[in-house]
Amino acid sequence: MTEPILLNNLVSRLPLGICVVDKNFKVLYWNDFFKDRLDHQQGEQADPNILDIFPQQASLLKKKINNVFVLNNSSFSYWEHRPHPFAFSSSRPITGEETLMYQNIEFFPLETKNNEVNSVGLIVQDVTELASYYQTQKRLSVELEEEHAALSRLNKKLEDAQNQLLQSEKMAAIGQLAAGIAHEINNPIGFVNSNLQCLKEHTERLTQLVSFFTKLVNKTAEPRYQDLTAEMLKRQQYDFIAEDLPELIEDSVQGIDRVSEIVKNLKTFSHADSSEWQWADIREGIDNTIKIASNQLKYKANLSCDYATDLPLVHCQPMQLNQVFLNLLVNASQAIDERGEIFVHVRHEVKLKSVTVKITDTGSGIESHHIQRIFEPFFTTKPVGKGTGLGLSLSYSIIKKHHGEISVTSEAGKGTCFTITLPIDCSEPEVDDEVA
Amino acid sequence: MNNVLNEDQRDALQELMNISMGRAANALARLIGTKVSLSIPRIVAVTPEEFNQILTNKQSCYTRQSFLGGVKGEVLTILSEQGCCSIAELMEFELPLNEDSHNELLLELANILAGACLTGFSEQLDLNTKLSMPTVFVPEKRLQTQANWASTLLMEVEFKVEASHFDSRVVICLESLSVDTLLTSLGALLE
Repeated sequence: MTEPILLNNLVSRLPLGICVVDKNFKVLYWNDFFKDRLDHQQGEQADPNILDIFPQQASLLKKKINNVFVLNNSSFSYWEHRPHPFAFSSSRPITGEETLMYQNIEFFPLETKNNEVNSVGLIVQDVTELASYYQTQKRLSVELEEEHAALSRLNKKLEDAQNQLLQSEKMAAIGQLAAGIAHEINNPIGFVNSNLQCLKEHTERLTQLVSFFTKLVNKTAEPRYQDLTAEMLKRQQYDFIAEDLPELIEDSVQGIDRVSEIVKNLKTFSHADSSEWQWADIREGIDNTIKIASNQLKYKANLSCDYATDLPLVHCQPMQLNQVFLNLLVNASQAIDERGEIFVHVRHEVKLKSVTVKITDTGSGIESHHIQRIFEPFFTTKPVGKGTGLGLSLSYSIIKKHHGEISVTSEAGKGTCFTITLPIDCSEPEVDDEVA
Repeated sequence: MNNVLNEDQRDALQELMNISMGRAANALARLIGTKVSLSIPRIVAVTPEEFNQILTNKQSCYTRQSFLGGVKGEVLTILSEQGCCSIAELMEFELPLNEDSHNELLLELANILAGACLTGFSEQLDLNTKLSMPTVFVPEKRLQTQANWASTLLMEVEFKVEASHFDSRVVICLESLSVDTLLTSLGALLE
């Protein structure tokens, strides 16, 4: 074989498209690989022009080829940026999912004379296989990332659920304990209370008796007995006792009242007590509560209420909810040092089928390390005797019983905002569309 | 290794670089129709540690392409993120650039600069070199930064398009074995 024939045979077997064009984009040569992939008509054209054959990509081809003529330097086209400069069909027309061939193209100066380029060569490489592999990988990695994100979300959800479970288990355990204690304490409190009532009456009678006898002795005109009586009364500090005894009893009665109030709260907290469920207007409940608490509120805060006009009736235990509102309002007023503001906002969340109540104050706020614990029973920052530490835990358990949520945001020194979300009808099964 | 080159060799090389870089600047200027200024070429021998210092600029993009022929090595092009958009406009790219067209612009710019530099340089030294297609280079994505060479010769020049605040550097890195070939050719030229 002579060298030109050998070369010709070699070029026709190359797995590359080769094409040579002149300054007017006229095709001077193309090899079989290139020609075979053209339409029949295009392939047989006389004096073919590369811009006419590929009109859709003409501007790109023109720019690239011109660059080579002007700069006397190779230029490249990548499948990532320009997948199909030549509209060749895929090398895998039957089994592949691609319809067009992915190409890398090199444009290079072929013939140069005195630094001037006379013709430009194009080498087209079929990278369909590579591109499809690369794209599959990319798709897989996107899928993987999505799955990973989904898993992370799920993990986070599980963690939250576990925390909630722990919290509610803790609350339940404390509730049981509280119920037990409440029950045990109730009996002794009962008889101490009634004994105190008797004691009060008995004391009154006894003092009456003593003053009767004293008067009697004074009437006998027996100075000796009179002196003796006066002496005895003085020695035993009768005047003081007569004055102090009713006060002592009165204080004890009040003390017992407070204990029974705590026991009652404990019972409510442990669900031992439950009032009737009914459809009620939240607004009415808040208004009533504000009336009850107005004595405590009016010296501390300006209260402003903002009710949505479309508030629906809520299926709830109104008395219990009032208890919650009372707790929050009293807390808010206690958080205010001199004088501040309390805002009450009530909104209807139509989409969530719920009502939200926001109680915001401009008080001292809650320290961030306390926020975690405020719903725990017996947790209080108030001075001893001022608060039982049951108010918020009670509120928490009441809201939970209504399948609602209570949350708090607070900034020390700025104020606190409690948000209560109540489902309009908590007997309706909750729909968690993400899990379902 | 900084005394691989003596004074004369360094001067000669710098002069050669100056000419070929001028040609590259001219190529870019012709393409985008704006004035392009260039720095004095820097020729320096580096260790892998020193070389890695080049790759630490976070505000830049890198491309690399290898060359074969009389001398072998790689050309790194370091392009500033700043000014890319106005260059794209000058080069008739569709704005705004997406990730693909941004990369395409970088590769095209890199190819023009690196191609002109290397062609000019190797023609003068009568070293026939052929440049492969450039690819985007992300230094942080390299799994292994351990180099299997001890020292290499870098020839670096900076191109600036002041009107666009665009800035790029072309670094020709020679393979260690090619340094001798280069010096031989340089010797022939100096005689």
